Amino acid sequence: MLTKTSQVLSDGTKISDLIYPDTREVQMRVLSDPEIYQIEMEKIFGKTWVLLGHESEIPNANDFMVRDIGGDSVIVTRDKNDDIHVSLNVCPHRGMRVALTDCGNAQIHKCIYHGWAFRPNGDFIGSPVKRECMHGNLLPESELGLKKARSVLYGGLIFATWNIDGPSFDEFLGDAKWYYDILFLRSDKGMEVLGPPQRFMVNANWKTAGEQSAADGFHTLTLHRWLGEVGNYAKKGDAAAQESDEPDLTPEMYGVEVSSPHGHALRCIDLARKIRRLTGLEPDDLSIQEKLNALPPAGMTKDMVEQLARNLSEDQLKVLTTMPPQVGGMFPNILFGFVYIPQPDGSVVGSMTLHTYIPRGPDKLEFCNWIFAEKDAPEELREKMLKQTIQLFGTSGMVEQDDSDTWPHMTLSAKGAMGKHMTLKYQAMYETGKPAGWPGPGIVNEGFTKDDTQWHWWLYWNELMSAE
Amino acid sequence: MQQVQEKSAEAPQGQAVPVGSAEYNAILTFLYEEAALLDQLRLSEWGERLATDLVYTAPLRHTRLGVDHAKSFVRSVMHFHDDYRSVMGRILRLSGKSAWAEDPPSRTRRLVTNVLVRETAKSDEFEVVSYLLMTRSRFSESHVDVISCERRDVIRREADGTFKLAKREALLDQSVLGTANLAVFL
Repeated sequence: MLTKTSQVLSDGTKISDLIYPDTREVQMRVLSDPEIYQIEMEKIFGKTWVLLGHESEIPNANDFMVRDIGGDSVIVTRDKNDDIHVSLNVCPHRGMRVALTDCGNAQIHKCIYHGWAFRPNGDFIGSPVKRECMHGNLLPESELGLKKARSVLYGGLIFATWNIDGPSFDEFLGDAKWYYDILFLRSDKGMEVLGPPQRFMVNANWKTAGEQSAADGFHTLTLHRWLGEVGNYAKKGDAAAQESDEPDLTPEMYGVEVSSPHGHALRCIDLARKIRRLTGLEPDDLSIQEKLNALPPAGMTKDMVEQLARNLSEDQLKVLTTMPPQVGGMFPNILFGFVYIPQPDGSVVGSMTLHTYIPRGPDKLEFCNWIFAEKDAPEELREKMLKQTIQLFGTSGMVEQDDSDTWPHMTLSAKGAMGKHMTLKYQAMYETGKPAGWPGPGIVNEGFTKDDTQWHWWLYWNELMSAE
Repeated sequence: MQQVQEKSAEAPQGQAVPVGSAEYNAILTFLYEEAALLDQLRLSEWGERLATDLVYTAPLRHTRLGVDHAKSFVRSVMHFHDDYRSVMGRILRLSGKSAWAEDPPSRTRRLVTNVLVRETAKSDEFEVVSYLLMTRSRFSESHVDVISCERRDVIRREADGTFKLAKREALLDQSVLGTANLAVFL
């Protein structure tokens, strides 16, 4: 059990003193201190809901895959009753890892060391040479199974937590759920992965990626400026723009940003320009249905948009057709991207992706990238989405290459005797509030991107880290 | 000497081009030259050696039991899933002003070995297997990232006798890559 003393680091500093609410700053020590990292493993990754993958990765009875909750390896299984289970991948006998592969199909998970065996749901089956009673009789067999996590499915996404009596998943999402439902619960059949996730190591603290995922809009203008210079947002054929050396990504920065007292964040980006460019029509003159037909949501076709009204409310459809959530995160370590990528022929192809940034030590994270499509998306669209997403996001993605080369430098900066006392600043503040008539809940602001969503991410980090 | 056959290869394989033969040496020279162009950041010159029908991929790898070895290669989601147009787009980006993942550029060393060449049903195309061990040094880090893979290429001889890369599948060894991105070509 954590005691109140764990809020204080060994040099006497209170964790909450590393956050400056008046000036909206965060001391960079949080990005490098091994002691803080250890506390995070218990107070954050031991407490919140953590994304492990999607049920379409293990479609058949007895399929399993090995994933991570913070520093703990877990086995994610589908049993013969079609139920999903998440268990600690540690043999309760002598601590050997039970599952040694990334995935597979097994009716019985048998530890290779001494042979204790477990069902897909984690229950103990037995140990070898039963008559000699290798597992003794001090504990009942019901206590010799794998340690079980609490798990939930949301749009097929598998989340788990060790916080057995803690908040429900819906409580954890809070007001942000209304917006996530627009992405993950919008279609009749739901979405599925296009394959297993890409995985690679980045020498950076997990929070460098985590806080960016809480809807950092500004970095796009500079870190990803190639998009406007030679990439998908370059104004080809526009003589005036070509004469100018300065690419202009600022129109993409306008919209609505949603943040949450639980650190969740969404950037809802104005769709009107794209609709105008694609159709020549004025979006304000179009009905919701006409807008959906003019520009189906990222990852859908015109044939699929009729499903939306069956799964979403009128208010959610209004947001989806004017300011759809396109990028953002879920606390603590998830990024989502449901983006409309301009193509050279003037059309738009959607990209649906989720990342997790798995902590692998104070200065190491594993980048895990899943690529999705709607289950009933036509094959041609799936192929386009798959190729485009791989080319822009994840391992070789031309956008995210630049992110994964930036986070290590921040982590190094945070190690310096002086550097660790410097601060991350979140001082670009909204003064706008909700746009008139905005139908969604949560902390909502409109206009050019600001830092509020990321600041709220840190406030929740502080709340969890300072909790008893 | 018999060259090693791909275990459980579906299609019958073409005749081996003997190691050290003139044909083999010409293809080996092509591989050495492209490694040099990439290590020397001469990306557009490398791009000139790509066929316009290029297929350029790098499957994921999974840790699987020995009996499931074939399933350790994942060709649904991959690390690279590119064609000529997208590779040229990558070159355009890397040659631009703001490709920070490779600017300042990594210092790379592509060691190309274990080259085996086979003829194919098309007289101008060869199946070429090579091992690639790339070291990637960035900034002042004292350690280098090591990227290792087996490359399965189709290399095509053009009418003028020069070669073009028509297909490359890079079978990476790591299930979790030990480098922060693949902003470098394999």
